[in-house]
Amino acid sequence: MAHDLLRFLNPHRSPVTAARCTIKDGRAPSFYLYYSREEIFLLSERVISGGGRILLPSLLPCCVFVQSCAFFSVDYSIVSGRRLEVRMQMFRWGFRSLCRSRTAGSGVYSFNGFLPVASRGAHLGRKPAEVPSKSSRGVHDIRYQIDQDRKSAAEESVDPFALVSDELSIIGNRLRSMVVSEVPKLASAAEYFFKIGAEGKRFRPTVLLLMASALSMPTPESVAAEVASSFEKNMRTRQQCIAEITEMIHVASLLHDDVLDDADTRRGIGSLNFVMGNKLSVLAGDFLLSRACVALASLKNTEVVSLLATVVEHLVTGETMQMSANAEQRHSMEYYMLKTYYKTASLISNSCKAIALLAGQTTEVAMHAYNYGRNLGLAFQLIDDVLDFTGTTTSLGKGSLSDIRHGIITAPILFAKEEFPELQSIIDKGFSNPANVEAALDYLGKSKGIERTRALAVEHANSAIEAINALPKSDDEAVITSRRALVDLTHKVINRTK
Amino acid sequence: MLRWGFRSLCRSRTGGSDAYSLKIFLPVASLAAPLSQIPAEVRNYREYHFQSSHGLHDIRYQIDQDKISAAKEPVDPFALVSDELSIITNRLQSMVVSEVPKLASAAEYFFKVGAEGKKFRPTVLLLMASALSMPTPNSIAVEVASSFQKNMRTRQQRVAEITEMIHVASLLHDDVLDGADTRRGIGSLNFVMGNKLAVLAGDFLLSRACVALASLKNTEVVSLLATAVGHLVTGETMQMTTNAEQCHSMEYYLSKSYYKTASLISNSCKAIALLAGQTTEVALHAYSYGRNLGLAFQLIDDVLDFVGTTASLGKGSLSDIRHGIITAPILFAKEEFPELQAVIDKGFDSPANVEAALDYLGKSQGIERTRALAIEHANQAIAAINALPESDSEDVLIFRRALVDLSHLVITRSK
Repeated sequence: MAHDLLRFLNPHRSPVTAARCTIKDGRAPSFYLYYSREEIFLLSERVISGGGRILLPSLLPCCVFVQSCAFFSVDYSIVSGRRLEVRMQMFRWGFRSLCRSRTAGSGVYSFNGFLPVASRGAHLGRKPAEVPSKSSRGVHDIRYQIDQDRKSAAEESVDPFALVSDELSIIGNRLRSMVVSEVPKLASAAEYFFKIGAEGKRFRPTVLLLMASALSMPTPESVAAEVASSFEKNMRTRQQCIAEITEMIHVASLLHDDVLDDADTRRGIGSLNFVMGNKLSVLAGDFLLSRACVALASLKNTEVVSLLATVVEHLVTGETMQMSANAEQRHSMEYYMLKTYYKTASLISNSCKAIALLAGQTTEVAMHAYNYGRNLGLAFQLIDDVLDFTGTTTSLGKGSLSDIRHGIITAPILFAKEEFPELQSIIDKGFSNPANVEAALDYLGKSKGIERTRALAVEHANSAIEAINALPKSDDEAVITSRRALVDLTHKVINRTK
Repeated sequence: MLRWGFRSLCRSRTGGSDAYSLKIFLPVASLAAPLSQIPAEVRNYREYHFQSSHGLHDIRYQIDQDKISAAKEPVDPFALVSDELSIITNRLQSMVVSEVPKLASAAEYFFKVGAEGKKFRPTVLLLMASALSMPTPNSIAVEVASSFQKNMRTRQQRVAEITEMIHVASLLHDDVLDGADTRRGIGSLNFVMGNKLAVLAGDFLLSRACVALASLKNTEVVSLLATAVGHLVTGETMQMTTNAEQCHSMEYYLSKSYYKTASLISNSCKAIALLAGQTTEVALHAYSYGRNLGLAFQLIDDVLDFVGTTASLGKGSLSDIRHGIITAPILFAKEEFPELQAVIDKGFDSPANVEAALDYLGKSQGIERTRALAIEHANQAIAAINALPESDSEDVLIFRRALVDLSHLVITRSK
């Protein structure tokens, strides 16, 4: 397969024109191969998307510098129509020696004429060579990653979702395998919202993966390289597991909420209870929860287990608060914010904290991670409330108005009520009557409810950004990029229109 | 006094596991009792007694009046742990408190006095905990040993509470799914408060169970009980969605019974063993006991659904067959009378069909074979108990005997 892929990527045997190698403190180094632009262009036409990784037990061309580099991994990902990425990684210990002998530190190491890895015994010189044909020995999977644009990470804002999209698809695959059951109906119910197309925005896993990158600490020099790299890989896998667990808990709560609300649709498709009935939805929710608990236990970290178990409890408490609020509580902003924390922010905040703990960070840093998640979640929900009124335009009443029609009083109305006490009696009448909805919207339009909600959301977003800035300094470029992405994410949350 | 204290007392006085006469042992609350009358070992425990009198809710007496060796007469398993059970029940009621009143009343619905059920599972677990307790080595300081054992006991009680919470949560959800009206002799929660609150209350209990599990700080136990929850769901789904072929398979039925009934008991027995610090091998014996006990329980349950309190057929509630659930007796009868297959396929909405099936069942050996299978499982459960490591402690022997008696009770019960 490697052979085919290499030929596929380089059908005309055109040479690699340049290679860039980036050494980041404490991380496995990355090599970047550059084929000529025309070549990339040609390839992009043929390819839709894909990705993978090769572990090649062959000697590196550049191992002239490193005596005993035995393994090499090559990552590729071909993103539809946009770019072709090939990234080759050498395990750290080999490369560190490389660094030490060449640049004595960390930095960008670029060299030309770097040959594709599979060329065992290939000429180690500087001129480009042919793509070898024996690359397929001992290969299971391949990943390439070629950066087309070599902009420094700090210069342009990155799309937070794109930064982790590869990892997200790995997690998606793993999730699908984790919810397998021997009972077919249960299996199809459980995986209903994990199959491709129904995964949602995967907002929570994105936040968690970015947080994991933002918190990664460099391993001390004294630690042996193989140990360090396997340790980091293991840590990353555990953090990915948190993202999977979080998503399972989230979907379990969605399934039960849809049963409780008699919802017909979710994520653009029929809700599970609509398609397969209430019974199976309740069961599937329980099943996902149990699988999440088993996965949680496998992390063998009791504090993390405790954090996420608390989240489950909060989700239920929030839903109950919403369902059973008496008249006085429905009118209280504090009750609303508390309910919003339980229902939305608790999951994100506690799982961010769990990520920090798994990264080996101190309690103080974990609290910053927690604060980021909490404020991000609250900002998200507040904007969600606004959009329910305004929809994709800024004018009132164009939104779906589903909250108010279900009798759920959200922040804009609560703010409007402070300006117009007469809104109270309208709320008390209930909203089954469309005329009453209109009346409420009327008051809302006259008031500053929407603006004040947005302002509160911006306030929370700023608190989230502060939390990121409070994280301990790091020189690692990847860490800085991820932190920047987390900041950009807060902007996206505030500015989104749907 | 809690059992561990009593055990230490035994060890220091008689150098073994003999009967210890309690004439000079004074009730714990009498702090001013003349010290001369109290043996030295008890004096050492005075601190503990003093403290324990403050927390009077935890005190219970257990003075064996007859010092008959454990092997001579059977003990009522339920009576052996009844005091501890009431402690657990009280703790459960406080654990399901919520700041939202409606949720609190929903969650404690099946924990309030009168609606607690037979508390079968906690009984098994507490007996198992006592049957597996290991003597602490003499080298360990007495206070350390006693607090360690007390701590262990509390953790094992917690497993019993968690198990009961998981069980009730599954009952709440099952009643919603089945549209049941009554449970444990009172209205089912969904009947009384609506489906939504019942689903939510079940979720709430599950989440509280999760938090309690996390507090044990033992990830293997978390894993075991989380797996049990998954099995409960799997079993319920298997029951709900069987196609025609699976309906008729004995293996499918036994597998479903394991998931629905036996898995929770077996996995929590295993958890008890792990918390007791036992080896994996012993934990597996505990697991095996729970599994076989659960299966025997379910099989007899199926028989009773047909025969009820009399030994004759058709006097039972027949609720399984009326809901279209094919249980072991029918499956056995079908092996003898293949024409029963056609009757089953027609479904059981019509009472005439039910009568026809009962007819075949009566002619066949279905009931007897089911009972025989239950006895087989009970014997395996007893074998598992006998496979536990030897112990000289009389208490341990009493409790192991009680577990054996429990399996007899399961087989011979008539309701």
